[in-house]
Amino acid sequence: MTGPDHARFADDAGAYLLGALADDERAAFELHMESCPDCRNQVEQLRPAADALPRSVEQMNPPDRLRASIMDVVRAEGDAAPRPRRERPRLRFSLRPALAGAMLVLGLLVGFGVAQLTGGEDERTITAKVDDARLPTASAELRVEGDGDDGAALTAEGLPDPGPGRVYQAWIARGDKISPAPTFVADRDGSGSVALPEDLSGADAVLVTRERRGGARVPGEMPVMRVDL
Amino acid sequence: MASDIRNLADEEVMQLVQGGNPRAFELLYDRHGGAAFSLAYRMVGNRVTAEDITQEAFLSIWRSRTRYDQARGSVRTWVLGIVHNRAIDALRRGMVHDRRRETLDGVEERHEARERTDVEAARREEARGVRDALDTLPEEQRRTIELAYFGGFSHSQIAEMLEMPIGTVKGRMRLGLEKMRKQLTGVVLPGELA
Repeated sequence: MTGPDHARFADDAGAYLLGALADDERAAFELHMESCPDCRNQVEQLRPAADALPRSVEQMNPPDRLRASIMDVVRAEGDAAPRPRRERPRLRFSLRPALAGAMLVLGLLVGFGVAQLTGGEDERTITAKVDDARLPTASAELRVEGDGDDGAALTAEGLPDPGPGRVYQAWIARGDKISPAPTFVADRDGSGSVALPEDLSGADAVLVTRERRGGARVPGEMPVMRVDL
Repeated sequence: MASDIRNLADEEVMQLVQGGNPRAFELLYDRHGGAAFSLAYRMVGNRVTAEDITQEAFLSIWRSRTRYDQARGSVRTWVLGIVHNRAIDALRRGMVHDRRRETLDGVEERHEARERTDVEAARREEARGVRDALDTLPEEQRRTIELAYFGGFSHSQIAEMLEMPIGTVKGRMRLGLEKMRKQLTGVVLPGELA
């Protein structure tokens, strides 16, 4: 049994498993598979062959320093379990898109609650609030050095592809003014990060939206993430 | 205690990792770090870049450890999939193309892993079996699969390189994997081939 528009995707299973589809093609094929049992079955039938490919590689010994370097970071981050997803602060929006612009500013004024803070005196790690409806698997945190005058770094996991020709963009909110910050993309395992070199002292929040590649001058949607500073 | 952990199966070790146990994560690295580094090296042809990719991949695994789902495949497959994605990202960002050309054969940088355990010996046997399965493919199918999986090239880049229609490239990928799947029965380690 095939899904709608099956002919367009009929030969994509192999390329999909080999990582040979472009990001937008991969997203389109994954969407198609949701309604096409034939393509799902074909992917599952071929998957063991694709999964075996890395096992064909001649084995080498990594240098000992690599193990030490990885474990230094792991131990430094402690043995705390990662945050359960359901405990993340969430952003929830129920207003019509027409009100989005006004709510963007209003949201900044009223705030969305207390952020989770960790880290030492010289560094704060603040958990982002994520819009569950639009980014159901995502989580993110902002690491701020000192008072924020040296900027910060936003790291996200579980990010979905923002769509063809689109990227994630950070924004700095100060009062009712929102300034554009750099764009960033998610890699194939949903990880993404962006450095915010701008002085954040006096800023109220860091926001994230999905915008056209190249970035926007004003937000085109309600934020999908928000970090209150 | 450490010896107890070492006796655990990968999936049990992964449960400890998911609970935030660094010792279990260290064991996970000991079991799969070599394969991860080898795959990264095979793709980028440079030890320094392969180290970077392996480190990025393992730190990503540590930080997103709760996302592992046993129902979707073995720990080894999951780890190597993450390494593969990281290496493709690096290749497509153009990070390593120049370095890869410098050491295209990579012969001077190859240091074969020592066979220390029966498991490693079995994995070598498995690797030979998978290479044999690849070698049974018609040349054009094998080349297309290797360019995509190990070279990180998209189907459209491969079509341009080989001067053939995109549909032909996709078809060769699918047919090649189908044939490999049949050849691999009984070659891959138990539990690894669905």
